[in-house]
Amino acid sequence: MKKAIGKGLVVVMTSIFLFSCSKSTTTVVAPLTATTVNDLPADTIVGITPQGQPYGAGKYTFYSLEKNTIIANTDSATTKWDLAFNGTKILTNGGTSGTGLGGAFVQVGLFDELKTISTDSVFKTDNGPVSYAVTYGSGKGWYTYDPIKNLITPLAGRVLVIRTATGKYAKVEIIAYYKGGATLAATAPDAEKISKQRYYTFRYIVQPNGTKIF
Amino acid sequence: MSDSDLCASMKKRTIYIITTSILLIFSNAKAQMNFSKDSLALYSDTVFITANKSERQVKNISVPISIISGKSIAQAGNTRLADVLREQTGITLTSGFGAGVQLQGLNPDYTIILIDGEPLIGRTAGVLDLNRIAVGNIQKIEIVKGPSSSLYGSEAMAGVINIITDKKNTDALSANIRYGSYNTKDGNISIAKKMNKISSQTFYNYYSTDGFSVRPNSNNRFITPIYRSTFTQNIQYKFSDQTSIDGSIRYNSENIKSIIAVANNGTTIYSNGKENNNDLNGSIVLNHRFNEKIKTKLNTYYTQFESKQNLLTVSGNPYNDLFKQNFTRIEDQTEWKINSSLNSIVGFGWINEQVNSSRYDNIDSAKTNTIQYAFNQWEWNNGKKWVANAGFRFDQNQNFASAFSPKLSLMYKANSQLRFKLSIGKGFKAPDFRQLYLNFTNAAAGSYSVFGAVEAQKVINRLKDLGQIGNLFSNYYQLKKLEPEYATGIHFSAEWEPNQNNEIQFQLFRNDINNLIDVQQVGNYISGSQIYSYLNIKNAFTQGFEIEAKQKFTNGWSSSFGYQFLLTGDKDQIASIKSGTVYTKNENGTSRLLRLSDYVGLPNTSKHRFQAKLNYAHSNGFYANIRAIYRSKWAVANTNGNEVYDDGDQFGAGYITLNYSMGKPLKKGWAIQAGVDNLNNYMDGLNLPNLAGRTIYMTLKYSTQNKK
Repeated sequence: MKKAIGKGLVVVMTSIFLFSCSKSTTTVVAPLTATTVNDLPADTIVGITPQGQPYGAGKYTFYSLEKNTIIANTDSATTKWDLAFNGTKILTNGGTSGTGLGGAFVQVGLFDELKTISTDSVFKTDNGPVSYAVTYGSGKGWYTYDPIKNLITPLAGRVLVIRTATGKYAKVEIIAYYKGGATLAATAPDAEKISKQRYYTFRYIVQPNGTKIF
Repeated sequence: MSDSDLCASMKKRTIYIITTSILLIFSNAKAQMNFSKDSLALYSDTVFITANKSERQVKNISVPISIISGKSIAQAGNTRLADVLREQTGITLTSGFGAGVQLQGLNPDYTIILIDGEPLIGRTAGVLDLNRIAVGNIQKIEIVKGPSSSLYGSEAMAGVINIITDKKNTDALSANIRYGSYNTKDGNISIAKKMNKISSQTFYNYYSTDGFSVRPNSNNRFITPIYRSTFTQNIQYKFSDQTSIDGSIRYNSENIKSIIAVANNGTTIYSNGKENNNDLNGSIVLNHRFNEKIKTKLNTYYTQFESKQNLLTVSGNPYNDLFKQNFTRIEDQTEWKINSSLNSIVGFGWINEQVNSSRYDNIDSAKTNTIQYAFNQWEWNNGKKWVANAGFRFDQNQNFASAFSPKLSLMYKANSQLRFKLSIGKGFKAPDFRQLYLNFTNAAAGSYSVFGAVEAQKVINRLKDLGQIGNLFSNYYQLKKLEPEYATGIHFSAEWEPNQNNEIQFQLFRNDINNLIDVQQVGNYISGSQIYSYLNIKNAFTQGFEIEAKQKFTNGWSSSFGYQFLLTGDKDQIASIKSGTVYTKNENGTSRLLRLSDYVGLPNTSKHRFQAKLNYAHSNGFYANIRAIYRSKWAVANTNGNEVYDDGDQFGAGYITLNYSMGKPLKKGWAIQAGVDNLNNYMDGLNLPNLAGRTIYMTLKYSTQNKK
């Protein structure tokens, strides 16, 4: 039994070795360049409750990284989309959120320096509302929220490592959560903080060949 | 009148005041000059009590000190302690929970404030609001920087500020009344009475202001409408030349009209109501001299502080907060003059502290801490070139680990003009009651909980038995009795007095602060909400230098200049930056590694600070002075997505303020004073909420002692 596992491991490791080796020798490396998405609305504010809480229409914005386009909400049950945005919550197309192979994790590091997704990385899948692949909450995933200044700031040095709906790999860096591509000043009027929030600016790279190398 | 008209008219008025005073100066300049008797503070044989816990001549004190005389406070037109300290070298005032004092880059928590040697209590988030203290009856303020004054126990880590009240041993009556911008009224009455064996000093101060707002019609005020009154009574009874008893009582009450706007999640909730703070201090000191060599001081001190906040939100929800603290101390200090060059002080004492707060588990159950302590100090001074001072204090605490604070200082007098001082000391700050006893669950924001270190394990275990705990982090198991926070300070200073009219002081300092207490997440509820508690985890430092120069010119003019250069840092953050795990944002929003050169250190600390003062005093009593205070930029908030303060964060802009005042004695004991604070009308509502705009005032004074 022990021996069998040992053999199995050898086989797996060899195949990984061969697999990665053959890839790196046969693929013609097309330089991948980052795509930037500007001001993607994510359930923008449509009103304010009598208690003063701003609210949106409650809809997600579905996005295809491969096609670099917004996907209609009617296609939410398909594998056409990779990420869905609603306020600070980002869904991946898998688990409780979708029918695809989607998953993700948040890596501490620099976007440009993430060249290879390490083989021992664990992609999480959405398990709403308890947990999400892109960790949800201030200081936990990709942003912090300051209740006094009422501002969402993307954390520096966070890369969202994404597995798309079709099982390809991508990396995403969130640049801003406010219209115009920059976090507003603390002194900006409340009205501006309300009207300009929930607009994502982010950059990303998808590796179309299915490997974990960018 | 529009804003700009108002501004223009204020400018005109200011210019008028300045021109008038300049004219006055010149009209008086011809008169015969009389050299003012008091020489520069440090040169003289002035006594200083705070450093050695006993009266010593300034020239024999081996640690860095400074003195602010009552006269200079009065001539500057300062009415609150905050106004006085704002103008001193190496001191920065912090905003938030009132005006706190930052000494050599260390937070207000780490400076002990004494009135006649007795500690003041009543801190909010570590800040003792310096506006609570009226300065109308002050003889002088003594400041000792660095933890070399550790004989005072907790909080004497960055330094000690000791306010010495005027205990006139004569009959005197003085009063003054002041009126200024923002309908600010300030009045003092001082009565001193001397009978056969009794002397008594009574002081009363009343202060009120309409407060101050950037936008005149706005609800939001930087300084809210407030009135304060302070009453102080001191009595000394001399049984004999050997024995005397001093009693003193101080009561301070402040009422603040609160219009508070609480912003949370983008919702601003306005609440109206009032805040009421009272503090009471009383002490009885018995002094007895056994013989030429031995004297003792038995001191009983009680103080209490109560803060009540009663607010009603616009929708009618009440918010009430109560904080009540009392502090009792009994101390005996015996001084033994062994021989002409050796002196020893031995002291021991007992402290009991109690706090009730609506933020602990139960408002009716008082949280208590008892401390027993002892201290010993040895001074050696044979009247020649060297002075040495060594001492220690040991505090045995009921609720947290005990503290040992040693100190050592040396002075070398190269000649009558030049002195060098080196001091090393260790000070501590006890964990406060919040860090020990807080039991707070925020139902409004995600039901997270914060438990004080004494309660945490007990409460969490109980919750665990109830099946409410999801998981506990490794640092939960590190929770233990909190250690006091420690600072080790090294100070080197050189003092040079080339002649009676010039004095230069240079001081190098480094403070290493270990064991800083920080709030940390220790686990989660089943629901996922966080549980926090307090641990000793952080380490920081402050270092820099200070230069202070004072000059006296021949014709009544004098000037002073002070500069502080300050570097601070969180040692753990610096280590993370060096290991390449801290990131920051580029202008375009993408991330990059943070370089050590981007790091700015601790928040609220400014690299450069200077103050300059030009003073004119005429022999007929006329005086005028202008003071400039500069502070360079300081980090106020993390805005670029990392947890350290760096160049990309939000800063308060560097600024300068100018204060001007002048006064003249009139006949029959009367005197007048007029001045302008913040002459250049610098305002920064966001970062400097305590700095009012241009404030013009006029004071009328009367004193029987000025009658000649």
